[in-house]
Amino acid sequence: MFSTSVLPIHILDATKTYPGGVEALRGVSLECAAGSVTALVGRSGCGKTTLLNLCGAMDFPTTGEVRVSGQDTSKLDDAGLTHLRRNKIGFVFQFFQLLPSLTALENVELPLLLAGAKNTEAKARERLGWVGLDDKCESLPYQLSGGQMQRVAIARAMVHDPAILVADEPTGNLDTASGDVVLKLIRRAADELGAAVVFATHSAEAAAIADIRVRMRDGRMESA
Amino acid sequence: MKLFRRLILRPLRRDLMRTLLTLIAIALGVAVVIAIDLAGDAAAGSFESSMTTLVGRVDYEITANAGVDETVLAKLSGLPVDARFAAVIEQPVVVEGPTSSHTSTVLYGIDVIATGTGLSSGQESGDLETSAVVSSELAERFHWKKGDSITLRGREQSADFQIQAIAPNQNTGWIGIDIGAAQKLLDFYGKVQRIEVFVGPGEDGAQVEKLIRATVPPSWEIETPGARSEENRRMLRAFRWNLRILSYISLLVGAFLIYNSIAVSVVRRRTEIGILRALGTSSRGVLLIFLGEATMLGVVGSLLGILLGRGLAAGIVGMISDTVNALFTTSTPGALALSPLSVAAALLTGTTVAFFSALIPAREAARIAPAEAMRRAVVEHQARLHTGRDLLIAFTLALASYGLCQVGPIEGRPIAGYAATLLAVAAAAMIAPAFVSSLIGALRGFLKRFLGPEGLVAGRSLVASLSRTSVVVTALATAVAMMVAVGVMVGSFRETVQVWLNAQLSADIYMRAQGQARAGIFAPLASPVQGLVERTPGVDSIDVLRALEIHYEGLRATLAGARTDILQRSNTFRFLKGDAREIMASLPGRDRAIVTEPFTEKHHVGVGDVLKIPLGSGVAALTVAGVYYDYSNDRGMILVDESTLLKYLPGQPVNDIAVYVKQGFDRVKVRRDIDDRLRDYPVLIAPNEFLRAEAVKVFDRTFAVTYALEGVAILVAMLGAANSLLALVLDRRREIGLIRYLGAARGQVRRMILTEAGLLGFLAGSLGLALGMALSLVLIYVINKQSFGWTIQFHPPFALLGSALLLVWIFTILAGVYPAQFAAGLEPAEVVHEE
Repeated sequence: MFSTSVLPIHILDATKTYPGGVEALRGVSLECAAGSVTALVGRSGCGKTTLLNLCGAMDFPTTGEVRVSGQDTSKLDDAGLTHLRRNKIGFVFQFFQLLPSLTALENVELPLLLAGAKNTEAKARERLGWVGLDDKCESLPYQLSGGQMQRVAIARAMVHDPAILVADEPTGNLDTASGDVVLKLIRRAADELGAAVVFATHSAEAAAIADIRVRMRDGRMESA
Repeated sequence: MKLFRRLILRPLRRDLMRTLLTLIAIALGVAVVIAIDLAGDAAAGSFESSMTTLVGRVDYEITANAGVDETVLAKLSGLPVDARFAAVIEQPVVVEGPTSSHTSTVLYGIDVIATGTGLSSGQESGDLETSAVVSSELAERFHWKKGDSITLRGREQSADFQIQAIAPNQNTGWIGIDIGAAQKLLDFYGKVQRIEVFVGPGEDGAQVEKLIRATVPPSWEIETPGARSEENRRMLRAFRWNLRILSYISLLVGAFLIYNSIAVSVVRRRTEIGILRALGTSSRGVLLIFLGEATMLGVVGSLLGILLGRGLAAGIVGMISDTVNALFTTSTPGALALSPLSVAAALLTGTTVAFFSALIPAREAARIAPAEAMRRAVVEHQARLHTGRDLLIAFTLALASYGLCQVGPIEGRPIAGYAATLLAVAAAAMIAPAFVSSLIGALRGFLKRFLGPEGLVAGRSLVASLSRTSVVVTALATAVAMMVAVGVMVGSFRETVQVWLNAQLSADIYMRAQGQARAGIFAPLASPVQGLVERTPGVDSIDVLRALEIHYEGLRATLAGARTDILQRSNTFRFLKGDAREIMASLPGRDRAIVTEPFTEKHHVGVGDVLKIPLGSGVAALTVAGVYYDYSNDRGMILVDESTLLKYLPGQPVNDIAVYVKQGFDRVKVRRDIDDRLRDYPVLIAPNEFLRAEAVKVFDRTFAVTYALEGVAILVAMLGAANSLLALVLDRRREIGLIRYLGAARGQVRRMILTEAGLLGFLAGSLGLALGMALSLVLIYVINKQSFGWTIQFHPPFALLGSALLLVWIFTILAGVYPAQFAAGLEPAEVVHEE
């Protein structure tokens, strides 16, 4: 096992119960190392998104421990969590979630601007080049195809070299060819940029690119 | 009913803040309209003659300029009709109080015997000459009671009267005495103000009128008392129309906001619309849902507005009344009467505005296909694509607006001017989308560089929601434009009046009878005053003004005589055209007159025209020698040389004296000397500076209502800005959540929304400033000129405008505080995954 102090994601026996009594997670443990890809698979409502939220420091467990980049998220206030997300985590969503009013380049640049970084435009261009879209810098989201939008979303998620990439059904809204391109990029995020990638998927083909596959059912992990 | 509750009331309750803001906006719009109407009615509705209280219902009044010859009474009494004729004197009189607390009021001299008033009951004829009836308003003001003694001062003498009765429920100040005593006191022998006619029961009024007309000179007027009230209303018509139009601006601003509110509702309930359509609701049904929502908001908002308007009216009736008294005619505010008709009209106005404002977004909603998931980006892209067409429409509207400005008044009202204003606002509305996108585009680099990611996202979000942003910007810009236009008009007017005052008030000291100065009331100065002033050491020369109210072509005007040689020396008048020196030199000893600009506008006369004015038993034919700028009041004035006036009206008293102090003499000392000499006379003595300051004070008070109206329109626009920002936040909550995912702190989200608010304020301020400047030209050169006849020089008060715009901008940012708090409080994990 890896030492918990250096693991990007370390979750120990986490539960999550929502108001109203819905138990989304029932004692889940997960460790993700830098450069590894972890796939969460299972039906809708099995707790994948809740677990991703814990990994992405977007939510707290009801019980148990969640450490992201070595920090216990339950001990962080809103500013601390924001700081963690800003510097250590990148997100990719099923429906791309690009800001419709910003160009591709501006969408990618935004996390850097929010973090107050320097040379933001150059870094954003470089990352767009990394996903193969250097010719789409000035395009607005509605001018891009679904696959292109998801590539921009990956560039945006990786623009600040995060330790963790969290992706929720990244190929769920794409055709097979576009989905393949996206999966390759996710794999490269771990291999080339050293991110600990954790993603949720319904697809066995998508899960095949992962180093670790976690099957979930009713808020529990079934098997690796 | 169930569907109404579920599909209309429940969504309104769910969006409580939007609902409340929209309701307040409608309520304020309706409140302003109803308040202006009620207060205007109250200020205009109190012209009923107090004579009714004294002598009962009068059927006809016989009047003539400068008074009616008393001898006609004998002829009238001999007419073979069942009618009584009673002479009346109505003149200002000074009531003496303890030192320097004199006041002037209206004195009625009535024929006690002929009218059979309470003044005569049980009185010896000797007592009649010293008895008085006073109005309850005056009695309350001075704590008089029955049996008290009061001293009235005429031109030559004072006389004591004992209060025999107090007329209850009177809202104006007046004193009634026997006509004989009044003639003696006022030195008004041989003439009376008018003759009241009481037609006997069963007698044919028309026959009586016909016989009277055959008996009195043709220049005399025979009118029913109602005609006088009607004349007053006519005088106030332009003033009230302008206030009314200003009040509609708030409603117009409100209309934009209702449009926006319903558009937000449509966007928010897109999915719901799809489901309803899939379940079998027709497109007409969807249309009705949103029109129902707007109508609900209209009805409730209007009801709130009616209540609020009643309260506002009570607050502004005093201000409107002050203006009426200063500029138009003497009146005291009557009671505020909220009639069922005005309630119904307000309800109908508010609801209709709400209904029609909602029509476009409601029709859009009705066109949504059941399975269609409308993408905002597509809609906004289309909005951008239409900018070329919109700009063409805007240009056409602006051109039409310019064309309308060239049209003259219609029945004395600047109807085309109002329409031009409306078209200019519509043109601005059409320009708004292109204006927003191009200005934000131009500011792109600046926003990113100086305001960081908040600036970048804020600017882009506004352009992304172009159709909605444009409506908010137009609404706010309309309010700002109104503020700028009225501000420029009032500022220009103020500057023009100040320049005019500097020329007009060229003497050092001014005098008039004590009491409140009111349009059309010319209280006479006591006869010895003029001589006492002339003999005061240090007095170089004096000018005297003898003025009286006359009827000219059915409208009231002022005829005055002055020493034109002195006026010429001091270069007092500025003429529209012609050489002032030549014009003034042509007046003495000749039947020539100069007239004010409002007079020429009202009566369409110009230089060289002859004014035929019945004066006493004759008719003065006065040739207009020049038209001069005058801003003292709206009624119009004819000025002749003193000698000309005295030729026709030999006994006409002096009302005002202007004193020129010799060079080398201390003005303050001369004034003190005059003060000492006139110690026993109720005369108001004021130095030049005081009068100027007072005039400006009256001016500012006059426009207080205008500023209040502007304030309400701005407030409505602010509510709209808050409402729209909240709507933008609600609509973009997933986007905001996403930004939080990308690492934005709550503070950054807050700053982003506040930046949007600031940008909205800036956009609206810029568009509003441009529109307002254009509207100010329409106000100054079309609406004001056609309504009142005053030429106003264009003097924009830049400093004041700058501060006002800054204030509006700050308030717009403040309007963003709640939406910003709301946005910062959104939980990203919830909002990103909720759709």
